[in-house]
Amino acid sequence: MNGRSRSRLAAWALLLLLVWLVVYPLVLVLADALRADGRWSLAWVRQFAASGIEWSALWGSVWISLASVAVAGLVGVPLAFLVERLDFPGRRWLATALALPAVLPPLVGSVAFLFLFGETGFLARLVQTILRLDAPPWRFEGALAILLVHGYTMYAYFYLFTRAGLASLDTSVYEAAASLGAGRRRTLTRVVLPLLRPALGGAALLVFMTSLASFSAPYLFGGGFRVMTTQIVATRLNGDESLAMVETVSLTLVALAALWLLSRVEGDVAVAGKGVAPAPRQVTSRARRALLGGAAWLVGTALLLPHLTLLLVSFVPLGTWTTEAVPPAYTLRNYVTLVTDPVRWRPLLNSLWMALAATAAAVALAIVAGMLVVRRRVPERRWIEVLLAMPWAVPGTVFAIALATAFSVHRPALARVVLIGTVWLLPLAYLVRNLPLTGRALLAGFRGLDPALDEAAATLGAGRLRTLARVTLPLLRPALVAGATLAFVTAFGDFVTSIVLYTYDTRPISLEILGSLRQSDVGVAAAYGVVLMLVSATVFALGAERRAEGG
Amino acid sequence: MAACHADRRIPLTVYSTHGRDQLSLLETAFEREHPDIDLRWLDMGSQEVLDRLRFERVNPQADVWFGGPTTIFDRGVHDSLLAPYRPRWAGAVDPHGVGPDDLYWPVYRTPAVIAYNSRAVPENLAPRDWDDVLAPEWHDRVLIRDPMASGTMRAIWGLIIERSLARTGDTTAAMAWLRKLDAQTRTYTLNPAILSQKLAREEGLVTLWDLPDILIDRGKGLPFGYTFPQSGTVVIDDAIGLVRGARHPDAARAFIDFVGGTEAQILTARRVFRLPARTDLPADSVPAWVADVERRMVIADMNWPLLAREGSRWMAYWDQHVRGTGRASRNRR
Repeated sequence: MNGRSRSRLAAWALLLLLVWLVVYPLVLVLADALRADGRWSLAWVRQFAASGIEWSALWGSVWISLASVAVAGLVGVPLAFLVERLDFPGRRWLATALALPAVLPPLVGSVAFLFLFGETGFLARLVQTILRLDAPPWRFEGALAILLVHGYTMYAYFYLFTRAGLASLDTSVYEAAASLGAGRRRTLTRVVLPLLRPALGGAALLVFMTSLASFSAPYLFGGGFRVMTTQIVATRLNGDESLAMVETVSLTLVALAALWLLSRVEGDVAVAGKGVAPAPRQVTSRARRALLGGAAWLVGTALLLPHLTLLLVSFVPLGTWTTEAVPPAYTLRNYVTLVTDPVRWRPLLNSLWMALAATAAAVALAIVAGMLVVRRRVPERRWIEVLLAMPWAVPGTVFAIALATAFSVHRPALARVVLIGTVWLLPLAYLVRNLPLTGRALLAGFRGLDPALDEAAATLGAGRLRTLARVTLPLLRPALVAGATLAFVTAFGDFVTSIVLYTYDTRPISLEILGSLRQSDVGVAAAYGVVLMLVSATVFALGAERRAEGG
Repeated sequence: MAACHADRRIPLTVYSTHGRDQLSLLETAFEREHPDIDLRWLDMGSQEVLDRLRFERVNPQADVWFGGPTTIFDRGVHDSLLAPYRPRWAGAVDPHGVGPDDLYWPVYRTPAVIAYNSRAVPENLAPRDWDDVLAPEWHDRVLIRDPMASGTMRAIWGLIIERSLARTGDTTAAMAWLRKLDAQTRTYTLNPAILSQKLAREEGLVTLWDLPDILIDRGKGLPFGYTFPQSGTVVIDDAIGLVRGARHPDAARAFIDFVGGTEAQILTARRVFRLPARTDLPADSVPAWVADVERRMVIADMNWPLLAREGSRWMAYWDQHVRGTGRASRNRR
């Protein structure tokens, strides 16, 4: 068997695996929905198409997602340039801290937003006091609030991907541009940005799909603003399973259309270069250093305000902070509750091992996919890409239900085994949900690598595995780290999938947050949120270190 | 992971909509009474319980479904997710909350109340009836849990609509009433935890919500007061049922017997503000607040089957034609 047919075989094996994990479960629930009373029926599709509300919800989802991409990009890309290309005091710290918003803890993170930006929040009170207004200066709800939350939590995709892209841009690229007489601006617009296209495209797609499937922000701050995800939940609560499924399909189709469009724009470019990024430019003037450092830290602090609020809330005793500008009392009790009760910290360990396992597997699959799609350019590459991105095209709840449905019966002939009730289903769900993250990151990484390096290794007598281990993977490190850290923290804090699939033995940290919030124990929920953030921050910091070693 | 539970006890799995405090409380008491059973509860929303039982139908993981309004249990009955069981205390609850063929049983009663921020609103000025909420002083001060996503709110909407049907024969008056309420509403909140924070922080002063949640929040120190609407309120039956195909049916039955038993009913009333469904509890053993509630609460006449039949249609109409239109029509005037 020659290399070519081996690649084809591997491609088909990967495709089958993805179809089994991603498409098959969805098809099963879809079939369920369209077979009302044992017959196939399109009545629900017609009802969907005839309803103005459905269309307005779909349109709401689409434009909010497009706007989210714009906002997240405008925040994330410049920040990435700032910390990658310029050196200033505390750069390394800030670089790590800036990734944190990707892990605003579920539910209680939104409470932090309320305490901060809400009409009775810290900022609103501040503005109200300064301007001596009678009423709160704004209301934190509707499309703008959703957009703010999205921009805030999703700029990290642009930030991390752009940084990974910049880190693998070779010094020679800049030198070549400079020697051809291009100024800094011209180099940026004509050389750097085009070369970052895979990274930017990947981030844009992730942001678009994440906001399309975003549930918490519209759920908590939407006011009367309609988007499809909350519409689906309302429809399901109303008992219209089939209509909800049609709504889900409509959302999925939009996501797939975006994916298709992007693949047109992104193209199959692979650029040359050894992947050795230039050192950050030293800012020499002391005044400019101070100014730049100060500005960077100011922006960083502003972006971390919700996290700081959460930290503050975690020290507030039950029911005390309501109309006061700052908390009237502080306590450590919330943390004491958390550490003294073993039942309370087991979820932390559960989330840790599940997120780790899922991330490792998702990275491995993404590496295989990257090799096949970018390097071997197998004919099935488009399909592999679509399937890798699909898990995020579907709202988390629906996807979880699909997995649960598919793996609740034992019919090996139909490729269905019982996983429900075992500890494996939830990590499997995390793995599948992680695929778009690791997949996008590594595809972008592979596209930014010069294939000539592999060839060089081969000429020098290195075998395929050796080339992968000693040449390709080290060069892919920035992309690998970006994808893996994002995947880990996403799985670690996941809520929507977990609530459908958790078992007694896999109760994750997010369920603990929900449980505390339901009892109005906001402080304890915040303490969990802080722990979650600390773990995520550690992961980001470790990632940054690995990157530094590799760079 | 599983090795942690290498004990020989029977693992009894309960899917529940109740909170951690209540479930831990019952777990301890139940395991004390049944040392051979290991109670494992999973807490989630009522829609999640239904979803889970549905996709686990061929391979049930749960033994007991504990908590949620009977309306959602009815959907479970429709999907054949429950098995009949007649608990020992069957004779001591109001039969109207009992499921067909003994498929579920009411264990708590959840009355809807008008709740307010007691620091900003003195008790004597708080709304005393549904119509009072429409008074000018509450304009833009009312917070509403999104009725599409809440069993309690749907029941309140049902009450308003059935009231109109009884008086005028159609739903026009009810929709006009709800449109006025929409004009009073500062915001619709989908999540109950956010709703309670907003009420505590005085983003709004009045809301319609269920009694146990208000009492629990008050117990945690939040400044909430409540009144029972004088013209009558809805009382939602909160149920329990045996899951069809349960792996440990005997332990499950023991748990159902326990939850509706005298000891547990009094325990949950005392500690987590659950109004017992049992009508035969000795008056001297129930906590004072229960007696107080029983005395002050006026229960409205509700046609529950009608709500079950027409509810979805009413809600869909409200969602499309009433929500968000109140403010506009008010401004036009």
